[in-house]
Amino acid sequence: MITLGPLSFAAPLALLGLLTLPVLWLLLRATPPAPKQALFPPLRLLLNVKDDAETPHSAPWWLILFRLLMAALIIIALARPSWGPQAEPGPADDAPLLLVIDNGWSAAENWSETRRLAGQWLDQARRDGRLAALILTADHPDRQAPLRLDQPVNLDRRLQLARPQAWPAAYDLAETRIREARAQAFLPARMDVIWLSDGLDQTGQDAFARELSDLGPVRLWQPEDGRVPLAILPPEATPQGLDVRLQRIARPLPRDVSVTALGADGQAIARADTRFAADSGEVHLSIDLPLDLRNRITRLQIDGSNSAGAVHLLGDQWQRPRTGLIEPEGEDGQPLLSELHYIESALAPHTELVTGDLASLIDNDAAILVMVDSARSDDDALSEFVEDGGVLLRFAGPRLAARSDDLLPVVLREGGRLFGGALNWDTPQRMAPFDNRSPFAGLPVDVSATIDRQVLAEPGTAAPDRIWARLEDGTPLVTAERRGNGWIILFHVTASPDWSDLPLSGLFPRMLQRITGLARTSDITPATSGAWVLDQILDGNGQLSRPGVSALPIPDEQWSARDATALTPPGLYRLGASLNTLNIATARTQLTAMSADLPGVRYMNGMIRQQIDLLPALLIGAFIALMADILLALALAGRMPRLPRRAGNGLTALLLAMGLSGLVIDPASAQPIEGSRPQSVEAALSLRFAYVETGDVSVDQRSREGLTGLGFDVRSRSAMEPAPPHAVDPAVDELIFYPMIYWPVLETAQALDTQSAERVSAYLQSGGLIIFDTQDADRAFTRAGAPHPGLVSVLESIDVPTLSRIPNDHVLTKAFYLLQEFPGRYSGSPIWVEANPDGASRDGTSGVVIGAHDWAAAWAVGPNGEPLYPVDGGDRQREMARRVGVNMAMYALTGNYKADQVHVPALLERLGQ
Amino acid sequence: MSQTRRSDREAQILRLRHAGEDAAARLPALQAEARRIAATVAPGVHGRRRSGLGETFWQYRHHQTGDGQSDIDWRRSAKTGQLFVRQNEWEAANTVWIWRDGGPSMDYASSRRVPTKRDRAAVCAIALATLLTQGGERVAALNESGRPRSGAHGLERVSRHLAIGPGEAAAVDAPALARHGRVILAGDFLDPLETWHARLDRFAGFEARGVMLRVIDPAEEDFPYTGRTRFRAPGSHDDILFGRAEDARSVYQKRWSEHGEQLDALARQRGWVLVTHRTDKPASIPVMAIYQALAGGLAT
Repeated sequence: MITLGPLSFAAPLALLGLLTLPVLWLLLRATPPAPKQALFPPLRLLLNVKDDAETPHSAPWWLILFRLLMAALIIIALARPSWGPQAEPGPADDAPLLLVIDNGWSAAENWSETRRLAGQWLDQARRDGRLAALILTADHPDRQAPLRLDQPVNLDRRLQLARPQAWPAAYDLAETRIREARAQAFLPARMDVIWLSDGLDQTGQDAFARELSDLGPVRLWQPEDGRVPLAILPPEATPQGLDVRLQRIARPLPRDVSVTALGADGQAIARADTRFAADSGEVHLSIDLPLDLRNRITRLQIDGSNSAGAVHLLGDQWQRPRTGLIEPEGEDGQPLLSELHYIESALAPHTELVTGDLASLIDNDAAILVMVDSARSDDDALSEFVEDGGVLLRFAGPRLAARSDDLLPVVLREGGRLFGGALNWDTPQRMAPFDNRSPFAGLPVDVSATIDRQVLAEPGTAAPDRIWARLEDGTPLVTAERRGNGWIILFHVTASPDWSDLPLSGLFPRMLQRITGLARTSDITPATSGAWVLDQILDGNGQLSRPGVSALPIPDEQWSARDATALTPPGLYRLGASLNTLNIATARTQLTAMSADLPGVRYMNGMIRQQIDLLPALLIGAFIALMADILLALALAGRMPRLPRRAGNGLTALLLAMGLSGLVIDPASAQPIEGSRPQSVEAALSLRFAYVETGDVSVDQRSREGLTGLGFDVRSRSAMEPAPPHAVDPAVDELIFYPMIYWPVLETAQALDTQSAERVSAYLQSGGLIIFDTQDADRAFTRAGAPHPGLVSVLESIDVPTLSRIPNDHVLTKAFYLLQEFPGRYSGSPIWVEANPDGASRDGTSGVVIGAHDWAAAWAVGPNGEPLYPVDGGDRQREMARRVGVNMAMYALTGNYKADQVHVPALLERLGQ
Repeated sequence: MSQTRRSDREAQILRLRHAGEDAAARLPALQAEARRIAATVAPGVHGRRRSGLGETFWQYRHHQTGDGQSDIDWRRSAKTGQLFVRQNEWEAANTVWIWRDGGPSMDYASSRRVPTKRDRAAVCAIALATLLTQGGERVAALNESGRPRSGAHGLERVSRHLAIGPGEAAAVDAPALARHGRVILAGDFLDPLETWHARLDRFAGFEARGVMLRVIDPAEEDFPYTGRTRFRAPGSHDDILFGRAEDARSVYQKRWSEHGEQLDALARQRGWVLVTHRTDKPASIPVMAIYQALAGGLAT
């Protein structure tokens, strides 16, 4: 290898080929271009003309120069040149390459760059003819490729398949692998070690670096500042919503981040922005949310970051806080009199309810304790519970009215207050609208709920922010106090309807639901014991998917000590009915930068400046030159068709277009509409009628001929230009494209299956028109008044509204022609339309027209326009039948437009005046 | 498989039909152009201007000895008391035999801006045939269209042969024509002078004379070639390679003009008229010249 400044040649001997250029010069001079060809009729006259220049003049100098240049290009290309600074050579430059790539969760942010760098190193090794080995530090232990020396090309292929994982790198495992590979002599003693790291300080790194440096000097790259990994820590619940902590490796650049909260359906619920200050590694972000919305969040993620660490899954403990109901002693077992019954009913949909005595509930990690008056206690355990962040929800009652205690948000007056008694002039009070600062703000007040009795707060002891609900006269109804980390909330009424109607109103459960939102996160204690099994796995890009890897079940008792690893990947774990989440970042997580003094490591921060391999470019250049030379040779020989100037421009444009088309490849292709015949594409493109296939060939043929004839009539008489009709089957085809469907109903017609019936109903709802034709007006009398059996079964399966005989002023009588009858092949039998067509989307037009006149037969024409079937009333009736068809088509397209005609006489009269 | 074969066959039939239509399409085009030229030439030329057999009145003259009794126009004679003879204009139909050279050397045009010599010769021949037919003459394509014909129908037949007929050299080597016919030979006359000498002798055997229309391509006269050039004659595989074509120009042009002069001399010597026409010039010029030459020549 020789280098000339930034230019280096991998095979410099090939440059000796340049010495042949002078020889080539002579050769090219000696070889004339091929002669021009000319047709020349008076050739005879040229015979024997002296031509002393049969040895022609040599090729033009510029052509020779051009060809020499082309040869030089090829020779230089063969010398394998590359442009760019030489990567700083490792001391053991000819030693095999060991490429160490961090592909833990923290590598996802910088993965494309990492892979590019790795590819570059492998490329370099390939050019140098060195072997290489590749180790990915976070590979799943069950699926690790053996650590061997291999051709860089093969490794590059493996690298293409490598993905960042959802768990942290396991340096101890990687270290073991290297040691074993060396012990078995799969790896040589000296190697050129490149470590593309994710820049994160992780356990075992020290030992790993020491092991690497045993092989040789280690060169380590870290991601640039904008691409260091981010992590989202478990959020804290606040009364306003959520407090989210974000971490990164502290870097001198500030960085803007935003966090989106997503619901179970993937819908974004909230979003908030913040910024990492310079040199700061942590930032708090508060997301303000109403409490009930907050409980719908299943996932928090940092926008624009695609690592598993930038996602935090929220499990059951957020959606369904555990609520403990303290069981009063001596409950008499009448449910409607029991206060707990009302609370249970209100909370059951939103929380996990546990009933028991105080001690067992606290042991059970309840987040909310509900204490009704009959269960009141002032146990020290309760105040501890509240101090620890529990929510204590109390209800007043006779006992509290008689004697207050400490676990109250306000000081109570003894005795309480009674409205509306026989000796009282107060009337029962109603609730006042909630204050904006109240957590209940926004809930509609139930005006029918009246309060008969309540306990009264001592005036002046209740600060306004402690009062969450008031009566109309301003006395507090619900008061609350933050105590320690927890809350004490007091309803100044009983939880049973004894004192008020509030527990009976719809407002009560919604108020309680808001209160449950205050519950702190608590660890989930499943109903059954056992092991948590991976249900959905979080992949390296932060997406949830079905688990594809074997994950170890986590025994319940070890759950709190678990960490996300390759064997227990992050994701959703299920045990019984409970769902828990394992996230990468825990409350203890602290992202710190990689130690700056790992043993034997040289830090190569910043990017490698890329070394450009010039071989392809040169070969392409030589190839283009060759093509140009062919054109030149042709031109000199006079064989190029003379291009007009404009054609020359066209050729340029063509070449340009070819070049561009090579760049722009559009992989998108039209997807066929699922589950429908290809004709639906056709149907969507133009207006056309359709008929329903009955399975009877002659009927179907008549329908087709009939609609073809109708199409012909409509085309010649109106501005509508329908395309040839389609046959449809409601079970298979999408109907929505057709404005009008002709449906011949046989006596043997079967009821539609559910899917078809839904489709037909949807078609009618969306404004379609179906002409049901039993085609049997001539023999209907033989049924002696019984309904048409096929029609009955078809209509029963469709949601057809009430029908009535067509009124004389129906729009169908004037949609195009003025008609009073609707003859087809037959006439005289009744026509039915919707009695009260006021469907929202149909705007007063009937979706169905039912008759028995066999219209298709009257419309049918052959290929030359001749009528195909006899019609009862002769040509006049056929004409009328065609008019009926035109009116139907117009009705299908214009709906009730012509209904306005009824006002025309009145309008004309008014205009006349 | 059979599908493919059938579509192949259809494609072939289509190709043949297109080729046929292309060939036939030349006929109307040539005829149209010829008619246009004839229309421009005709107004400039008028009748024979002499008495003869015909139907239109030409003149009265005094009765001379030898005039038949039946020739006397009694009505005119009665007015003056002198005997007048009524003469009609001479309208005897002459026969003109036209040969349009169809040799390979005629199928040549040096650039797209000029027509092939063959097409130009055909245009001139058809234009002349049209003019002659309008004048009442009978025309025939030499050795191709059979007996001479007159009238629009005859013209149609003849011009068809003139446009797309083979125009073989055999027709001039062994011409089949009536005696005292008038002949128009349209070609490039590139064959050796001796050949034409012999051919004109053969025409002389029929006492036939006429006009030679020599159609030449501009490149044949100007010799615009330069550089290393291989010349090839159409319809043959002979070729000549010149290292510097421009060097051959002077010699060639000298020989070319000599050829032209010799041809002219030959024609004059045999009582023919040689009209030389370059295809980059309008076709009406030679048509006019030939028509006038014929009109003059017919008188003698």
